Amino acid sequence: MKNLSKRLGTLALSLLGIGAVIIIWALAVRYTRIGLLLPSPWEVVKRFAYVCSHTIGKKYTVFGHLLISLKRVLIGFAAASVAGIILGISMGRFKMIEAIFRPIFEIVRPIPSVAWIPLAIVWFGIGENAKFYIIFMAGFVNITVNTFAGAKQVDENVLGAAYMLGASKLQAFFRVVIPSCVPYIFAGMQVGLSTCWMAVLAAEMVSSTAGIGWTITSGQENGDMVQIFVGIIAIAVVGLLMAVLMRWLEKVLCQWRERGS
Amino acid sequence: MEGAWILMAETKNPIISCDHVSKTFYSLAGDHLVVDDLSFNVYENEFVVLFGPGQCGKSTILNLIAGLELPTKGKIIVDGEPVVGPSPNRGMVYQTTNLFMWETVMQNVEFGPSVRHVPRKKRREIAQKYIDLVGLTGFEKHYPVKLSGGMQQRVGIARAYANEPKIICMDEPFGHLDAQTRYLMEADVDRITHAEKRTVLFVTNNVEEAIYLADRIILLHNCPTSVHKEYKVDFPRPRDYTAPDFLALREKITDEMDKTL
Repeated sequence: MKNLSKRLGTLALSLLGIGAVIIIWALAVRYTRIGLLLPSPWEVVKRFAYVCSHTIGKKYTVFGHLLISLKRVLIGFAAASVAGIILGISMGRFKMIEAIFRPIFEIVRPIPSVAWIPLAIVWFGIGENAKFYIIFMAGFVNITVNTFAGAKQVDENVLGAAYMLGASKLQAFFRVVIPSCVPYIFAGMQVGLSTCWMAVLAAEMVSSTAGIGWTITSGQENGDMVQIFVGIIAIAVVGLLMAVLMRWLEKVLCQWRERGS
Repeated sequence: MEGAWILMAETKNPIISCDHVSKTFYSLAGDHLVVDDLSFNVYENEFVVLFGPGQCGKSTILNLIAGLELPTKGKIIVDGEPVVGPSPNRGMVYQTTNLFMWETVMQNVEFGPSVRHVPRKKRREIAQKYIDLVGLTGFEKHYPVKLSGGMQQRVGIARAYANEPKIICMDEPFGHLDAQTRYLMEADVDRITHAEKRTVLFVTNNVEEAIYLADRIILLHNCPTSVHKEYKVDFPRPRDYTAPDFLALREKITDEMDKTL
């Protein structure tokens, strides 16, 4: 009971913080010259409600644009996860694979995903493939790094215990190596998903005709400040939802680490 | 009396036979002889304690018998077969438990039978039997992280038993436990090993624990390890830590122990 009231208190404070920002924003727009550069929160909300049923650009409502971006992210992220987990685990478990791939990976690793945009356009044109590539690179690095760290920390004594109980190499791999990497893989996927989400926006802002990133650039081109804000808020909300979803999934998959009752 | 024991023992076939075993670890810093010309036998259903002070290579002996290390010289025969690698007919209980933290108590105990493809219903039955035996009934679905140190060690013991191995090696299993839990665990191991007869090789550096549990105590020389002296213990069970016989033997072994350092 005490716990619940404590949590409600924290929630109230969080809402108070957000509320304060919105009120200061509204007052600043109303009473200072910032109003020339910034739409009021009320205008943004009104427009948001409007574009839920009316199109931004020619074809899609705000949800349509979000879905297009989400689809790109999910494809790129899924590919990045599969490739990152496979490469991370193989580098962590096999010395030879580490020797071959680690240097290449370390060179690619510090390149920010936006730096791939020009090359991706040259290699893949301005279609979907270029975007998948950029998103893939954004997620792949984080997922590989974390999976690799996880595969390195597998306890050799626990692995030995599995062999002593009669496990084959393959059985030990699936019942010891993989599960003990899962928390690390998840940490990588959490960061990876948010970097993928950032990368899709960057990719869309450079070249596209639809997607939530495009709504921001098109707002900029038309001098439509409210549309830019609608885009930014939509991005923030979806990013937040993704983080919440990943955290929930982690809690379900990694419940064996929870000490509490 | 000790002579009579040896005569009687020689008429039986040993389950574990260490025959002039030496182990040297080679490294750039210099070669390190850890086990030096060690010979001893363990007979069916005997509870033998390898007892010696501090860091004297006791765990190395168990690793050699487990097959996780191979001897530099000499040979080890378990149940008629020379040891060449890990095998499920040798069960291990470790000081650090080495449990599979991502599996429930039931899944941990079932691990051995399940990797050996024992049908699901049968292995449930076996696992439940040993979970009940070690006193963890009701904790089947718990993850190890939620159990106390003593309870985790019980899972380790049940896991080793559930594979129904020929011999069980216990490597200072209560080394990390507090004194109170340690007494309880010793009493339980005494009960378990007599309810389910097995050949047990138990490593400890605690003289009380050795006398409480052993049919026979092998006192080891400190680094490099070899057999110093053997003691047969035939007090009735469960033993009383404060009985005059118990204390006299304790005195005798402690005095002798000083010569091994």
